[in-house]
Amino acid sequence: MRILALFLLAAMSSPALADDADAAALLLADKTTMTAEQSSDWHVYVEAAAREARERGANPSLHGTRTSIDARFDQTFAPGWRAVFADRLDMNRMNGVSGNQDINTLKEAYLSWQAQPDRIADLGRINARNGVAFGYNPTDYFRSGALRSIVSLDPASLRENRLGSAMLRGQALWNGGSLTALYSPKLADKPSNADFSPDFGATNQRDRWQIALSDKLSEALNPQWLLSGGAGQSPQLGLNLTALPSDATVAYFEWSGGRAPSLAAQALMSPDDTAFRSRVSSGLTYTTPNNISFTAEYEYNGAGLHEAGWNALRRGRPAAYALYRNFVANLQELPTRDNLFLYAVWQDALVKNLDLTAMVRHDLVDHSRLQWLEMRYHWTRVDVALQTQLDTGQPGSNYGALPDRRLWQAVARYFF
Amino acid sequence: MKFNRLIAGILLIASAGAAGAAPSAQAILAASDAIRNPGKPFALTVTLVEYRNARQVDGNTLTVYSKADANSGQFRSLIRFVAPARDANKLMLKSGNDLWFFDPSSKASIRLSPQQRLLGQAANGDVVTVNLAKDYQAQLAAEENVLDGDRQSRRCYKLALAAVSPDVTYHHIEMWIDASNSRPVKARFYTESGQLLKTAYYRRYQAQLGVERPTETVIIDGLDPNWVTVMRYSDYVWRDVPEAWLQRDYLPRFKPE
Repeated sequence: MRILALFLLAAMSSPALADDADAAALLLADKTTMTAEQSSDWHVYVEAAAREARERGANPSLHGTRTSIDARFDQTFAPGWRAVFADRLDMNRMNGVSGNQDINTLKEAYLSWQAQPDRIADLGRINARNGVAFGYNPTDYFRSGALRSIVSLDPASLRENRLGSAMLRGQALWNGGSLTALYSPKLADKPSNADFSPDFGATNQRDRWQIALSDKLSEALNPQWLLSGGAGQSPQLGLNLTALPSDATVAYFEWSGGRAPSLAAQALMSPDDTAFRSRVSSGLTYTTPNNISFTAEYEYNGAGLHEAGWNALRRGRPAAYALYRNFVANLQELPTRDNLFLYAVWQDALVKNLDLTAMVRHDLVDHSRLQWLEMRYHWTRVDVALQTQLDTGQPGSNYGALPDRRLWQAVARYFF
Repeated sequence: MKFNRLIAGILLIASAGAAGAAPSAQAILAASDAIRNPGKPFALTVTLVEYRNARQVDGNTLTVYSKADANSGQFRSLIRFVAPARDANKLMLKSGNDLWFFDPSSKASIRLSPQQRLLGQAANGDVVTVNLAKDYQAQLAAEENVLDGDRQSRRCYKLALAAVSPDVTYHHIEMWIDASNSRPVKARFYTESGQLLKTAYYRRYQAQLGVERPTETVIIDGLDPNWVTVMRYSDYVWRDVPEAWLQRDYLPRFKPE
């Protein structure tokens, strides 16, 4: 009894641990063994996908599979010297359609020389990407012709699975700013459909150049200015700007402007209608306390068709319509003038390691809509995902004309 | 050692002189910052293990390069994801509230708001070095015994920290600092409404870059105490990063040897 009393006295006089939960957590930490992983120059994954596409009308569903290998190598092989290589092979097998083929995408292959910490030169095929917006990037001047194999319409996938352009690039940096200049020469006349073609005809059909300048004006303001031009076009000026209105909100503004013919005039060889045209993509990303990020973006393409022109094209010759759609898709442009883009990402949605991503593209001119949803669960080395896409709208509308009305895709990815 | 300890000592002595006997709360906090944070640019590896209900649900390895800003005194950090393989070589740049994420696969530099979290429970501000004395005003709330992360009783100063600007990760903090050696022992982080966000224990003190520093932080969620993250620090090394690298435009270039 006396021992018990002494024990209780000792327990009362000792400082109390905040609560039992803290003690349990510390015990868990005691038992934790961890090994710090080493970084690797290689980043490789294989992906297997099965898809079902339901076309419009009474046609039967199409089924198909895809196997992909994606590899990226990035090594510093001597002081100041770096080699980068990124390649992807998509092996498509779609039942009941012709044109099943393997498509290799040589994304990047270049050498980089850092002569000084703040002076760098690169030579080779480089994915030179600009733009702070999510769904439409008017200042991403090297996106035209860059898509060789589309495996998903998720903007993140379109950014990742694309061809770089062959170029010579130099960059100078200083505290809070940088200047980049690049020259991308003409190397071929037309794109190639050959399975393993590096396809310089898709990305290097004409001489092009670009200058980019960033300089921090204040803690809150760090704009990027771009000037881009090339054979057969007037120089285009670009601007990228971001701001932080609150600790949960990022605002962004992307603009490109310059004298240019309309997309219709270029695609249909119509009389020259060159004028000063702007393209804008601007929006907000808001993150909730439980880490759901919502993005709303307004997209304006001053070279796209306004309502009257778009309706006339839809009701006109099918060949002209098809020509325009293909031309615009190849440039990764918007066919119409006004669009809305909504995007939401929920990391660890209800269950740890389950990510939900949803996207809506809404054409404000013809009111057609593309809806895309992905559920992705990941383990340490394996991802599994289920994606679905629904395209709605009038026949001939931006999204109503897509061949598939409903698309399902199951994906499994293994990271080495 | 000497440098940091010396600074910590001078701060304590100076404040003790000013206040009579007890050092000022701000000086205690600054001395504890000097224990957590090396005084020159450095790099280290952070390994995170996340538990839910005693079951490991996630793990990450990061390399963090940190350098104090000459003007503000606050740290700017480049964070490189090492593992898991899915995230390898992705980068995050944190310079105050200027937060950028870069994915080498898509070449996309995306600006993040402070509320966006990339690492589960840990806020982006948790994985990088922070000088609390630069962002918070400290008041001495008590001197009391508490159990540290090794369940040892420690005589501690209990400090109440209030954010001096609204753009910091936490609105206010309670922090216990060992009265004998200025080591951080434990902290509780709160929202503006007074809700407990998380509790952190600083432990596994080891000699790193000349000073005995905590090489592990155990983070316990304020709402769900079964949600626990263990952050372990290793491979400390002095490593200077040129000023010109701490910007968005250098992210596609950043490739440490």
